[in-house]
Amino acid sequence: MTAPIGIEPLLAISHNTLVVACGVAAVGFAAGVVGCFGVLRKRALVGDAAAHATLVGVALAFLATGRRDLPVLLVGGFISGLVALGVLVLLKRCSRTRDDAATAIVLSVSFGLGITLVSGITARGIPGGAGLEQFLLGHTAALTTADAMLLAAVSAAAVLLLVLSLKEATLVAFDSSFAAATGWPVVLIDYCLVMLVAVMVVAGLPAAGAVLVTALVVIPPVAARQWTDRVPTMLLLSGVFGVVSALCGVAVSAVVPRLATGPLVVLAAAFIFAVSFVVAPDRGWWARHRRER
Amino acid sequence: MLWNVDLTIDEPGLFGIIGPNGAGKSTLLKAALGLIPLTGGTITFFGRPFAEVRGRIGYVPQRETVDWDFPVSVSDVVLMGTYGRLGWFRRPGRRERDLAGESLARVGLADVAGRQIGKLSGGQQQRVFLARALAQQADVYVLDEPMAGVDARSQELIFGVLSELRDAGRLVVVVHHDLRTAAQWFDRVALIDMRLVAAGPTATVLTPENLERTYAGRLDLLDELGRAVEERGRTS
Repeated sequence: MTAPIGIEPLLAISHNTLVVACGVAAVGFAAGVVGCFGVLRKRALVGDAAAHATLVGVALAFLATGRRDLPVLLVGGFISGLVALGVLVLLKRCSRTRDDAATAIVLSVSFGLGITLVSGITARGIPGGAGLEQFLLGHTAALTTADAMLLAAVSAAAVLLLVLSLKEATLVAFDSSFAAATGWPVVLIDYCLVMLVAVMVVAGLPAAGAVLVTALVVIPPVAARQWTDRVPTMLLLSGVFGVVSALCGVAVSAVVPRLATGPLVVLAAAFIFAVSFVVAPDRGWWARHRRER
Repeated sequence: MLWNVDLTIDEPGLFGIIGPNGAGKSTLLKAALGLIPLTGGTITFFGRPFAEVRGRIGYVPQRETVDWDFPVSVSDVVLMGTYGRLGWFRRPGRRERDLAGESLARVGLADVAGRQIGKLSGGQQQRVFLARALAQQADVYVLDEPMAGVDARSQELIFGVLSELRDAGRLVVVVHHDLRTAAQWFDRVALIDMRLVAAGPTATVLTPENLERTYAGRLDLLDELGRAVEERGRTS
């Protein structure tokens, strides 16, 4: 029996591809939701520093275990991301370096170290090491069903945690000194929020890579902010934008082999942002332009 | 920044902390609320450290400390005043919403409850902060420059609410920089210029000598105040 023309490409989508798409969609949603508080707390670049630092941990985890097990590599990436954030805090506190400069230093130095490790591993031809470069720009085609399920579970947990503490997170992000004066442990809540962003940055590595994963936690929130004046709506919209961006990246890179996923994800997110920037009611460029006339 | 301040405020009423820019008024307030560390000395409320009694203290920070473009509505912000009592993970319910609504009505903002906070005027924004403090249902209210950059109508409204609190037996501590209005508004004041200059009933503290010690070199201001104090003396 031959399938009618037009159905065939659909049937070509394997079970694995579908599961991977679902996993990546979950990551996109959670990254969009969690990223909102990074943006609202004006810490958009902190996630980027952590993201660039993940490469070190990924490479070290590979060297330590000799295998390219995604969970192990991601745990390594998470740890080195946290170390980078710790260094960032210390730099700001002990050396009086300004926020932006400290972030730039941590970001570039940790990325330099990560690239050195990864290219060292590749150059020595350590078995299995060649695939590590995929963590640079993202490559979802290599994900297994188990990997995708793990990513989906982590994403669900991150969203759940954030929704549970939405009241606390909003309070601290809006007015941290009032929060502190009324007895909330602002530093602890702040650390938890940063930690959630770090978790999603790491979970987003397979989809977008260390260089571009920030786009998943920054662009959807900024685009979502254009459309709404309420935090809950912003979270939801940002999540949806994250899903659309992530799926676009996965779909195109599945059709065009050898194309890294990360850049496609970023381009899709950038398109959503551009549309939001122009046509959003009230805050959009067009609405403001019309008001001014 | 600030030293040698030995100050006890032990009766209800409107208490002004007055001094020139950079005198350390806000520093004193923030230190009292545990927002900045003390290098020495102690600050207590009801004889106990602030941390133990913070539920009884309502706080109105300076308006510039937050981003008014933040995506929350006016009533969302006022609801935040109830969070301290709610505790972790509990969502505000009917009771909290009613309280927020009442607080908003007291500062004359009931009709803009659903608006995004950035769409309000400076005076209205300040009243939102005051409503949030009212929703804290505190015994002591601490306000940091509530009249800075605020239109006349809002000033009157804010002063009206503070007077109501005083009449209800609350203590209201206000950091304030405008000498002219200070003489009219406060029952008692403390003059501060990096140290405590004087404290007590407004009429006995706002003397030319004390003011000169506080505002050395700012004499044109002093002349204005001298007239204000004299007027007050005549009317009372």
